[in-house]
Amino acid sequence: MKKLDRLGWAAGIGMRAFGVEAGVRVTAAGILPKVLPLLPPGWKTSHKSTVQRLYSLVVAKAGQDHRLRRLHILYADGERIARNTELDPVLAALETDLHRYVAETSPDMTFLHAGVVGWQGRAILLPGRSLSGKTTLVRELLSRGATYYSDEFAVVDDFGNIHPFTRPLGIREDSTFAQTKYAAATLGATSGTKPLPVGAAVICKYKAGACWNPAPLSHGAGALELMANSIAVRNRPQDTLRRIQKLVKGAVFVKGTRGEASESAESILHLLDSSDRQEQA
Amino acid sequence: MKERECPQARVDCLTRKFGDEVLVYDQERNVGHCLNSTAAAAWKLCDGKNSASDLAKVMTRELSTPVDEPVVMLALEELSKARLLVEEVRPVRRTSRRNAIRTLGIASAIALPIVTSLVAPTPARAASCFANGKPCASNAQCCSGKCGTGGHCNS
Repeated sequence: MKKLDRLGWAAGIGMRAFGVEAGVRVTAAGILPKVLPLLPPGWKTSHKSTVQRLYSLVVAKAGQDHRLRRLHILYADGERIARNTELDPVLAALETDLHRYVAETSPDMTFLHAGVVGWQGRAILLPGRSLSGKTTLVRELLSRGATYYSDEFAVVDDFGNIHPFTRPLGIREDSTFAQTKYAAATLGATSGTKPLPVGAAVICKYKAGACWNPAPLSHGAGALELMANSIAVRNRPQDTLRRIQKLVKGAVFVKGTRGEASESAESILHLLDSSDRQEQA
Repeated sequence: MKERECPQARVDCLTRKFGDEVLVYDQERNVGHCLNSTAAAAWKLCDGKNSASDLAKVMTRELSTPVDEPVVMLALEELSKARLLVEEVRPVRRTSRRNAIRTLGIASAIALPIVTSLVAPTPARAASCFANGKPCASNAQCCSGKCGTGGHCNS
């Protein structure tokens, strides 16, 4: 770390998000504007002299010996976590690591790996692992008028309400699984700003040709599924379970395998509508 | 555990109630368990003082429905498989298990004791990652945990 500190740092920023303090410093000032959009949604500038995690991005110089590979290198607290001849993959690594660090260490919130949309004043959670089709379903729900909350994390507070984590949607558009980022607004959707109680949680996985016929889950079984998608349950089981317990109240849980997103999206919105009618009755 | 011995629930687990169900988190093994109402009722009574027949009597009283000893043994077996008891319970004999299920099938006033378990993910496993073939700059970005020297995730 001391060796790193001796490098010439051209620019840097301290930020605070969800109760976590982090900093990013770069060797080329021109890179900092590219870093800012990668910080967690809702971040605020922090002027604290110490941070919990410090990222150091060493940008390859153009004039270096052409026989050498020019590598951009990213360090987190002095440990090298990424390097590449291209800058974009290194910036993507910074985003991934920083978001994960915030999700893992936030003292104020519990982060669940889930897509989230708002619908009629309540949140619909779509928990699931990577490549389970969360973003596709979120996008489909947005096209039907839902409000965008997240395609990555459901951020749960002490009351069990879900806060927005409105990073641009990472949509995989071809068989290479390469993601293109889209702001919700470019898809014609609005982004949520206020925390919402959970109306429904839909645990599903995509399978080509599958027919969407979900089975209801009890609150206990639903809570177990949420636990299995919780980022920090191993480190903070007490907080995680407490917040999940608050979250499930009033929520409907279903689980199933879905085919095309268009078919299941309509059914998911109806699910919340019918649970509303049941509550009113 | 022999049938006459008194099963004891582990006390080092975190628990949360969800109606009749109980969510138990085993911090030692990082596994979560959902105990349905019957399994939860049995688990609550496993204090190391009650035998299986005692449990059947108390559960009959508490659930206001007849609970036979084979049903209790089935619940204990489920709890034991999930390692939620201090001592292991030997598997119920096939005939006893069949009897228990048949009894429950006929009476059906209480549910078959069920313990559903899921492993708690590590932070890396819980978050999004890239599929094989996707450009990467660090191992943490790849679902496989391996970012190859060519800068692409591989297995």
